[in-house]
Amino acid sequence: MTIDSLYQTFGNIFYRFGAIVLFILVWQLACSTGLAPETFVASPMVIIKTLYQYALDGSLYKNTIISLSRAFYGFILAVVVAVPLGFMLGGWFKSFERIIGPLLTFLGQFNPFALFSVFLLLFGIGEFSKVAMIFWVSIWPLLYNASLGVKTVDPGLIKLARSMGMGRIKLLTKIVIPSSASFLFSGLRLAAGTAFFMLIPAEMMGASRGLGWLIINAQVNYQIPKLYTGTLVIVVLGIVIDYFFRFLEKKVVIWKEAQNL
Amino acid sequence: MAEIGTVGPTIGGALTPQIGSNKADAAVLSFNQRVMSWYGIIAFLLLWQIAPYLGLTDGRFIPPLSEIVADAGKLIANGEFFVHVASSCQRVLIGLFLAVVAAIPFGILLSGFFPRLTRFLNPLLIILGNINPFALFPLFILLFGVGEMAKLAIIFWSSLFPILNFTIYGVMHVDPILIKAARSMGAGKANIFWKVVIPAALPSIFTGFKMGATVAFLFLIAAEMLSANAGLGYLVHNASLNNYIPRIYVGVLGIAILGMGFTMLINQVEKLLLSYKDEVKVT
Repeated sequence: MTIDSLYQTFGNIFYRFGAIVLFILVWQLACSTGLAPETFVASPMVIIKTLYQYALDGSLYKNTIISLSRAFYGFILAVVVAVPLGFMLGGWFKSFERIIGPLLTFLGQFNPFALFSVFLLLFGIGEFSKVAMIFWVSIWPLLYNASLGVKTVDPGLIKLARSMGMGRIKLLTKIVIPSSASFLFSGLRLAAGTAFFMLIPAEMMGASRGLGWLIINAQVNYQIPKLYTGTLVIVVLGIVIDYFFRFLEKKVVIWKEAQNL
Repeated sequence: MAEIGTVGPTIGGALTPQIGSNKADAAVLSFNQRVMSWYGIIAFLLLWQIAPYLGLTDGRFIPPLSEIVADAGKLIANGEFFVHVASSCQRVLIGLFLAVVAAIPFGILLSGFFPRLTRFLNPLLIILGNINPFALFPLFILLFGVGEMAKLAIIFWSSLFPILNFTIYGVMHVDPILIKAARSMGAGKANIFWKVVIPAALPSIFTGFKMGATVAFLFLIAAEMLSANAGLGYLVHNASLNNYIPRIYVGVLGIAILGMGFTMLINQVEKLLLSYKDEVKVT
């Protein structure tokens, strides 16, 4: 390793994390000098201490697991329904898609937050309404991307495969799914992000456990460190979910790079 | 995160078959093509109307469409509906306006004149933009109370980052060949900025604005449901608290229609403003 490349790596790290570190330092400084009032703003040190404390007594872990499992069930249900439906709409039933497409666009336009009242009405305030809510918001990006992915498959590839005598099922698994995989993955990533995104208000409106409940409860009881800690956990989890799906796409869709060359 | 609730228009845009030999045929066909995109919606609305009578759904929880329309008519007749629409529109427009005024000049200045500083700040801005604004709701209420200020702050914050980040992206990714070409033809700094950088970055800025508007609308409703005494979000929330079921659906449909109208307006403005931009076709 030469000095030059060392210098470059250092520069990269500086550019990537410098501003974030600086932000945290300024935050800490503002808190310890009393510039930011303690009654409203918790300092990073206090947040870390609170995080440690809640991690030890297990309450943070319990609430996170509950939140993640709700998001997971809604998301998986949406994947099971929306991906095959999107494939069918994009691939096989073109005229059916022309009729149902605008309806789906119309339904997708509904503000999920306004629909929350309807969901509470129909499904009550139990677990099911939260999972249904997450299911509803995750469907749209999946459906859109799955149908777009199928539409963008190179027709030459399909003709070629068919002329070599490939059956319908093999056509799907060997041609259609691999070539629409990058669309599918961006749909999955968006849907997972949306699922976790909408989970928080769902838990704020009617729940007795979970991260959304944790922060709204902290606000009501005026527990500032707890409020900031919960918010931080939600933010970090959201970013981790996003990166996880990006990573997964890179690992699974290895043929995409070759296409770019 | 702004993709919530918006399925792109491409879902309905399949290929149009090339048949119809004479003009009359073509006219019928094109009429059919245009109406075709409404069949699904009409069928859905019809089903909604008759389902309670057929016993498919419980009319108490999903009232037939006619009941909802009747309630909407009542609200429109006594003028209450327009009060809610106006106060919602006012909030979203003020919040969005503040975000645009703050984000676009700041983004252009930052990325146009301080590229190194922009590279340094970019990761932080992206992380701030990725923060779930819902998670910040309790904080906003803590800092700004439950009045008008908190709602505007929420709308401002949530639409600020898409606009800012897309503005920075647009200015940073102007094709360098365009700038070099302009410079080699003797264009001055100001000329390059106004004639090359801004038009080249405008499509990206507009994408950011569109995302910001979508997000602003989403959070408007959320903010109004938490605390307000007027607005469409309040209409839904209040109806839900009083268990006045048709009115919940009036509010939900009103929000959807207002949101769609908003989107259509923005698309129309984009068409006028960005007439020089090449259409990008996916298929």
